[in-house]
Amino acid sequence: MREIESLPLNQTQKLRLEKALDQLDFLSAGANSNACVTVADTILVDHQDGLLKGHGTTDFDGELVATVCGVVERVNKLVYVRSLRARYKPEIGDIIVGRVIEVAPKRWRLEINFTQDAVLMLSSMTLHDGIQRRQTADDELNMRSIFVENDVICAEVRGFQHDGSLHLQARSQKYGKLEKGQLLTVPPYLVKRRKQHFHYLEKYNIDLIVGCNGFIWIGEHVETKDDMVEDQVTESEQQNASEDTHTPVEIRDKICRAANAVRVLCTLGFNITADVIMEIIELSNRIDIHDMLGAEFCVLVAESEVDRRRSSTKKK
Amino acid sequence: MGSTKRKSLEDPIEESGPLLKQQKENGFTGVDEPVACLHDVSYPEGFVHRSSDTFLAQEDSKPAKEFPFTLDPFQSEAIKCLNIGESVMVSAHTSAGKTVVALYAIAMSLKNKQRVIYTSPIKALSNQKYREFKEEFSDVGLMTGDVTIEPNASCLVMTTEIWRSMQYNGSEVVKEVAWVIFDEVHYMRDRERGVVWEESIVLAPKNSRFVFLSATVPNAKEFADWVAKVHQQPCHIVYTDYRPTPLQHYIFPSGGDGLYLVVDEKGKFREDSFQKGLNALVPSSEGARKNEAGKWQKGVVAGRAGEESDIFKMVKMIIQRQYDPVIVFSFSKRECEFLAMQMAKLDLNGDDEKVNIETIFWSAMDMLSDDDKKLPQVSNMLPILKRGIGVHHSGLLPILKEVIEILFQEGLIKCLFATETFSIGLNMPAKTVVFSNVRKFDGDKFRWITSGEYIQMSGRAGRRGIDERGVCILMVDEKLEPSTAKMMLKGSADCLNSAFHLSYNMLLNQILHEDSNPENLLRNSFYQFQADRAIPDLEKQAKELKEERDSMIIEEEDSLDNYYSLLQQYKSLKKDVRDIICSPRYCLPFLQPGRLVCIHCSGNEDSPAFSIDDLTTWGVIINFERVKGLSEDDANKKPEDADYTVDILTRCAVTRDEVSKKTMKIIPLKESGEPVVVSLPLSQIYSLSSVRLVIAKDLIPLQNRENTLKKVSEVLSRFSKEGMPLLDPEEDMKVQSSSYRKSVRRIEALENLFDKHEIAKSPLIEQKLKVLHQKKELTTRIKQLKRAVRNSSVLAFKDELKARKRVLRRLGYVTRDDVVDMKGKVACNISSADELTLTELMFNGVLKDLKVEEMISLLSCFVWQEKLKDAPKPRDELQLLFTQLQDTAQRVAKVQFECKVQIDVENFANSFRPDIMEAMYAWAKGSKFYQIMEISQVFEGSLIRAIRRLEEVLQQLILAAKSIGETELQNKFEDAVSKIKRDIVFAASLYL
Repeated sequence: MREIESLPLNQTQKLRLEKALDQLDFLSAGANSNACVTVADTILVDHQDGLLKGHGTTDFDGELVATVCGVVERVNKLVYVRSLRARYKPEIGDIIVGRVIEVAPKRWRLEINFTQDAVLMLSSMTLHDGIQRRQTADDELNMRSIFVENDVICAEVRGFQHDGSLHLQARSQKYGKLEKGQLLTVPPYLVKRRKQHFHYLEKYNIDLIVGCNGFIWIGEHVETKDDMVEDQVTESEQQNASEDTHTPVEIRDKICRAANAVRVLCTLGFNITADVIMEIIELSNRIDIHDMLGAEFCVLVAESEVDRRRSSTKKK
Repeated sequence: MGSTKRKSLEDPIEESGPLLKQQKENGFTGVDEPVACLHDVSYPEGFVHRSSDTFLAQEDSKPAKEFPFTLDPFQSEAIKCLNIGESVMVSAHTSAGKTVVALYAIAMSLKNKQRVIYTSPIKALSNQKYREFKEEFSDVGLMTGDVTIEPNASCLVMTTEIWRSMQYNGSEVVKEVAWVIFDEVHYMRDRERGVVWEESIVLAPKNSRFVFLSATVPNAKEFADWVAKVHQQPCHIVYTDYRPTPLQHYIFPSGGDGLYLVVDEKGKFREDSFQKGLNALVPSSEGARKNEAGKWQKGVVAGRAGEESDIFKMVKMIIQRQYDPVIVFSFSKRECEFLAMQMAKLDLNGDDEKVNIETIFWSAMDMLSDDDKKLPQVSNMLPILKRGIGVHHSGLLPILKEVIEILFQEGLIKCLFATETFSIGLNMPAKTVVFSNVRKFDGDKFRWITSGEYIQMSGRAGRRGIDERGVCILMVDEKLEPSTAKMMLKGSADCLNSAFHLSYNMLLNQILHEDSNPENLLRNSFYQFQADRAIPDLEKQAKELKEERDSMIIEEEDSLDNYYSLLQQYKSLKKDVRDIICSPRYCLPFLQPGRLVCIHCSGNEDSPAFSIDDLTTWGVIINFERVKGLSEDDANKKPEDADYTVDILTRCAVTRDEVSKKTMKIIPLKESGEPVVVSLPLSQIYSLSSVRLVIAKDLIPLQNRENTLKKVSEVLSRFSKEGMPLLDPEEDMKVQSSSYRKSVRRIEALENLFDKHEIAKSPLIEQKLKVLHQKKELTTRIKQLKRAVRNSSVLAFKDELKARKRVLRRLGYVTRDDVVDMKGKVACNISSADELTLTELMFNGVLKDLKVEEMISLLSCFVWQEKLKDAPKPRDELQLLFTQLQDTAQRVAKVQFECKVQIDVENFANSFRPDIMEAMYAWAKGSKFYQIMEISQVFEGSLIRAIRRLEEVLQQLILAAKSIGETELQNKFEDAVSKIKRDIVFAASLYL
């Protein structure tokens, strides 16, 4: 189930980890009462009227049957199966991080861990000059100056087009190319949708983007500029800035710590949020970066997670 | 916010037509004065002028579009603003020619290869504008709820609702649009739809520029300030109330037989002529109107006496004087038709015109099926059209409406009866405009037409370049004050006020996207802006009051303050005691005629006396009686609980004002005045004496009353030394209440304190107290102002926003940490019907088991809002569905109520109307339109509108079903769309 098995644990660590996980199971008991199903399992519906059959279900011989493995969820009369450990399933408004795999006419194709490639149209991009205008052939020719293959991009899911392809959009300057940082991929189910997916960890001066598709970006902080008027004034400054490509070593250190924090969470199968990452970075202050992936630290994280959840349940 | 103001008086311009150039209300009365417009700029705070050299090049180059006529100053002024690439708000009368500015903006954008969007409030108007622009520029597309043509064109004409949803969906158009033209932006004050404008303007891309075209609004500057602030860009205002053709305003008294000029083309109000007109008013219709319940039947009533009805006389006169074409505005669809019916005897068209009309009419009707051609509305319309008479209101079939518009523009209709809707939008002027009513029903009551409405409608009078002047005729059927008439005819236009309100759809859309949140939208709303704007004013007031208060210096203020509060206490205690004594329970037995009583003098309420003693006088009781209340249980009340008035003879100062109303003031006996019997409430009695006088039986002669009062004076002087013997409350009146005794004791204690009080002896005590009192009042007013400031500085709608978010969480649309859930995503898609109720209905599986026809019938309740009085109940199956809907609605409303959203649960549930369920069922079953018209007693046009809106809702539901992966339901909705989308209901507009 989790990748914990591969951890080189010694006997005490194993015991401590097991205990922590047991406690976590205990704390979250009740929340997971939903039935788990695998493909072709019948979902019990008591033959209610007016049942709505949502995603992951189908009608088979008068019975409701699951088409994916996952947890049965019900909203009023709607029954659907939320799949676990599957590919990312996009929803409108999701913030995602993806990698460009192809520059095509008027569009880029992106890998976002979905069953198909996502499409970012040139017209869905805010152009760098900030002027409201129609895109021209020149813009199309210059597409490579914006993104090329293997660039990491952050965008928002705009929705499915009529032909079934998934379209993305970049509404403002905060979306776009990501540079000077690390991209991590984790199973998408570890990322819960929240109000905020962009985080600026001021303390470490790093940016954290938790893409809903399980792609997580950790990089040096960049100020987003949105105002066209300002742009003209600061143009010269920008040029200076672009020459300065050096990232200070402290920031690199923090980026690595944050990235390792994500890795640890992924190994343990915990939800990934900015708060937890911050906590783990704090926790790791005493040890070296590479030790963060060791067994001992893993157990430590699991134990602190138990404490955290316990205190939060107490508060309730 | 900085602003520069300059009044541009352009050089006199040559105009081709024999136009009179003059401004009506701005004091420019001379005929040869140039036309003026007001130009003003709003800059955002801290705005720095960009070096303008980038735009110099453009200025030198050729204008983007040249017009074959000389531009009016306001037009050229606005175009100058466009040329320097800055937003502009043009506020002018309907007929002034605002479209020129829009055309220029489009031409400019097309030249610069930019996208431009033109939005208008009404679909029909969008269609007409599309046609107009399409002829001018070829690269034009149209998007309304009904049709989409060339959505990739550079210039897109759309309704404001579509533009808003495009912004929410993040369409690429939004990223490319350089100019957005909002036509008829004064629609923003519309109670229901106005909020759409605010959302669209706030959400619009930051780097685009705007052109706002609006009717004349007095607060155009405020609007521009708002735009400047929200979008951080300068916004120009070009304002003019210039009319290309001046107007003459007449009144036509009902029952009379002539026109009376009330306001001439120079804007002068003619009082004498107005009075003459009113005197000619035949009052008989007044009484007749009251007998008839329906207001619109007035016309018939007048014509009942065998003579011609007013409207007939009037139209005849207009034709004789060659004041045609004429538009007659009335305020209800039925009245429109009724008035048109009365024109039966008139024939205003020649034979060749008739042939023309018939050809145009049938070529337009050609697209209808044979069955639809036989619709009564269609077949009844042609005969009256042929006589040159038309009807135009929202109850008409859209296609008929369009035919009539075309015929009117071609000059084939000489007399058009229209509702208010005809006054907005496309340029369709007449020589004369008639108002068939001075009052309009606004949902609650018949009120006078506002000056804003009058301006809007009278804007249709006078065809530029054809008529020397326009004529407005007001049909008056009741007396009205000259001031009312002046207000109506010459008043200013309505203010542009925000009609912002929250909706769940708006909230969900805002929450859905990471970089937007509802609070931001609220903060940037025009509503908030207007509220904020009031703050400096309030603060200033508070400051002034505070200064005034601080300037009042009183010696020994502390001890005076002490004295003041003692006095207050003393007074309130005295009052308590008096209340006990004067309660009917104790004093009734003593209210015999002839008893002397001490009563309050009626002084000025606002300056209470500050001595221990109140100003009192004496009088004689004549009689007392019980006050008869309105409610029935009054009769069951015990005598002790009822209210009484006492008739008392005393001296009063009687003043008569011009309305011959007497106002009486009770004054002390010694002053000069008349002896009068007044009736007073018990509470005004100060005390009862033990003395009784014998009074004359007949008090009608003045002499007798005077004598009685003389006796009173005598008695008073006799007792002046030891004081008037009073009834002892405890011994004589048997007052036995502990609170009475307590109060008396405390009064005694207080009296002692007064005597000892150091300041009591001060000679100026009264004046000093008065000053102190004023000071105290100022303090309370300052407090009130401060509270007002606090209230408006917090985010408007903050509480409602909280409450509504609570509702969304409670119903499971949004999770606890503000993430839109499954249900919320469904509700996001629904904007044309009540999103919560419909979503709940869907998630409860109600729609799933229904047949398609039943579902359509059920959904029709969401789009039909008109209340029909005696609509037959739908059949049982449908009624059952409707009850289900009402249950759901009630549940939704209840949750809202519990979450402190202000909502009336019953009203909300009743806002869904089952009236057209049967008709929609039949329509879905494939009935012909004339068949469903037989089922429902509604206007054809209203039904068509409802069906079109239903189709919109279905389209939204398709998307919603898709998003939850329920393909069966999705197919069902698609099926439903194909079932209702046919025939006359979806006949394409003639303008396309």
